[in-house]
Amino acid sequence: MSPTPSQLTALRSLLDRIIPADDFPGALAAGTDTYVLRHLLGDGSAGVHLLLGFSQLDAESVARHGPHQTFATLLPSQQDALLADLAAARPMTPWPPQLPAAPWFHRFVELAHEGFYADPANGGNRDAASWGMLGYAPRTTPERAAP
Amino acid sequence: MTSDHDVIIVGAGLAGGILAGVLAEGGRRALLLERGRALAYSDIPSDHLRNHRLTLYGDNTTPDPAGHQRVFIDGAGVPHTVLPHDARYQLNAFTVGGGARVWGMQAWRFHPDDFRMATRYGVPDGSSLADWPIGYADLAPFYERAEHEIGVAGDHAGTTHAPRARDFPLPPVPRSPSAEWLARGADRLGWRTFTPPLAVNTRPYLGRGACIQCAQCIGFACPTDAKNGSHNTLLPRALASGRCTLVTRAHASRILTDGSGQAIGVEYFAPTTTDSATLERRTARAQTIIVSSGAIESARLLLLSASPLQPHGLGNHSDHLGRHVQGHAYPIAYGLLPPDVEPSLLGPGVSVATTQFNHGNPGIIGGAMLANDFVKLPLIFWRQSLPPDTPRWGLANKRAMRDLFRRGIDVRGPVQEIPSPDSRVTLDPAVRDTFGLPVARLSGTTHPETVRTAEFMRARAEEWLRASGAERVWSWPAEKKFSAGQHQAGTCRMSADPRDGVTDPFGRVHGHDHLFVCDGSLHVTNGGFNPALTIMALAFRTAEHLLASP
Repeated sequence: MSPTPSQLTALRSLLDRIIPADDFPGALAAGTDTYVLRHLLGDGSAGVHLLLGFSQLDAESVARHGPHQTFATLLPSQQDALLADLAAARPMTPWPPQLPAAPWFHRFVELAHEGFYADPANGGNRDAASWGMLGYAPRTTPERAAP
Repeated sequence: MTSDHDVIIVGAGLAGGILAGVLAEGGRRALLLERGRALAYSDIPSDHLRNHRLTLYGDNTTPDPAGHQRVFIDGAGVPHTVLPHDARYQLNAFTVGGGARVWGMQAWRFHPDDFRMATRYGVPDGSSLADWPIGYADLAPFYERAEHEIGVAGDHAGTTHAPRARDFPLPPVPRSPSAEWLARGADRLGWRTFTPPLAVNTRPYLGRGACIQCAQCIGFACPTDAKNGSHNTLLPRALASGRCTLVTRAHASRILTDGSGQAIGVEYFAPTTTDSATLERRTARAQTIIVSSGAIESARLLLLSASPLQPHGLGNHSDHLGRHVQGHAYPIAYGLLPPDVEPSLLGPGVSVATTQFNHGNPGIIGGAMLANDFVKLPLIFWRQSLPPDTPRWGLANKRAMRDLFRRGIDVRGPVQEIPSPDSRVTLDPAVRDTFGLPVARLSGTTHPETVRTAEFMRARAEEWLRASGAERVWSWPAEKKFSAGQHQAGTCRMSADPRDGVTDPFGRVHGHDHLFVCDGSLHVTNGGFNPALTIMALAFRTAEHLLASP
């Protein structure tokens, strides 16, 4: 199973709020969506059931802001308010019993940061963007190491 | 059956490599069986999600996680089948060299009173606290030998918790400005600090280069092979002697015994050819068998080797085998460096310690060494080290990471655990490994006195950060939990009297002339220190004892 176009759109909008761009690249510029999708769809698709949450995310958005107001169309402040509701286990729509809203959201908070702060080879920290922000580098090659 | 060997060593970890080196150089023909592979630096990935400091989805040394489960019994008595990367598995690296391929290198001698805990403190209710049958003086020459033959960098004059006759072979690791800041804080409290001993080449030594202070240290292999263990010292010496045969991907399944119950060999599974996926059953015989597989797997192998004469496992004559599992409770205090202290991201990172609170704490049993932490990965910092009121997502989280990553500081220490007979390794009645053998079943929890000591040490760790001038200080209360992990110990405790333990004071299984255990399993108590140098010293001592025997 692969994500629908609308699920993909919602996923990218979600990542953009979990790790927004500021003076430094955010999740989208670092390719963290690539990491998250690889994680959801890889390893026997163990995480594929989480995709359903993106349809729920749009349903939450419509329930708050009216027809056609999908999550991606909201203002960042509206998106953040909605996510704060989910984080506090205050959804406005029924979520499937096997996919409660708050744990679903917290799982994506974890996944996003895993990808963003891990080594670039994991796919979510392109050009070591987050490490540049932090001033971190492994410096494991002798010629690049500090004296 | 072949008997091309004088000694079979099961496990090529820190102790196994030392046993092989000393015995082979001493003229003994050794067969060294190792479940994992011999890994080059490039074979151990630099994966920040899968390494021995953070095993989110795997680790970077285990060759075959599937088929080697363990069963963990939770606090409610519910069994969970767990894979190696699950924290409940209590993983130590399965590879030639063992955990030392990826370790943090702290190479501590135990305090003399760590060997006489019951005498000093009495035996708390519900605990199996006991003295070791040997004392510090018995191990001192072998500690010294380990420091020189493995390679330990340290501050001879400053390391005073245990008597020392000879300097370290390597100068201590350099101190970062934040470590100097902590040392000044300790001074204000009247606490004495020093640079802790690490088994790292601070300058070229024994034919290998020096540490380059990279920022990917604990949990990973060393890019300059400056991280010392038996894999790059005693094991190469064993192989160079021509008298040691190393077989990798060799899974020991049973100690073979004869009709009188004496150990005569080992049954194991090994690849039909070097790189084959197919494993075949083999047996090997030798005069001496040494089990050196870590506290969980050593106990499991002895349990798996039950015989008609010892139906509850070899060495289980007095019901001590697999009990008294210990690791270390690890209180941590977190804080933020003030802006005027220059942050650094240089490895290894641990460079200031105090042994002020290992013993003599009023109303408390034992204690712990405290030290600063290793250089931290960004993701580990995100998961563990942000102030507790930091939002977990959004711009506020990102800015906290940006502003605080380099300013994070923590102080932590390995609390000497008070052993419990109910914290144990048994064989699981249901779950089998890839060879059809029962897997290790882990059950039990921390003795309450361990929690009390951990809470006392947590308060000292916070006090240290506050006295140093940390902008904020926070920590989390100690909890009861099954404790083993990378510091696993205690399952084959040594004793003078066979009624009190599994092995004699040299690691020889009571009642078995030719069967030894040599790893952290022997530790009656596990000290308030990282246990590796004690494991190494015991290996040198057991090997020399064997060489002195006919």
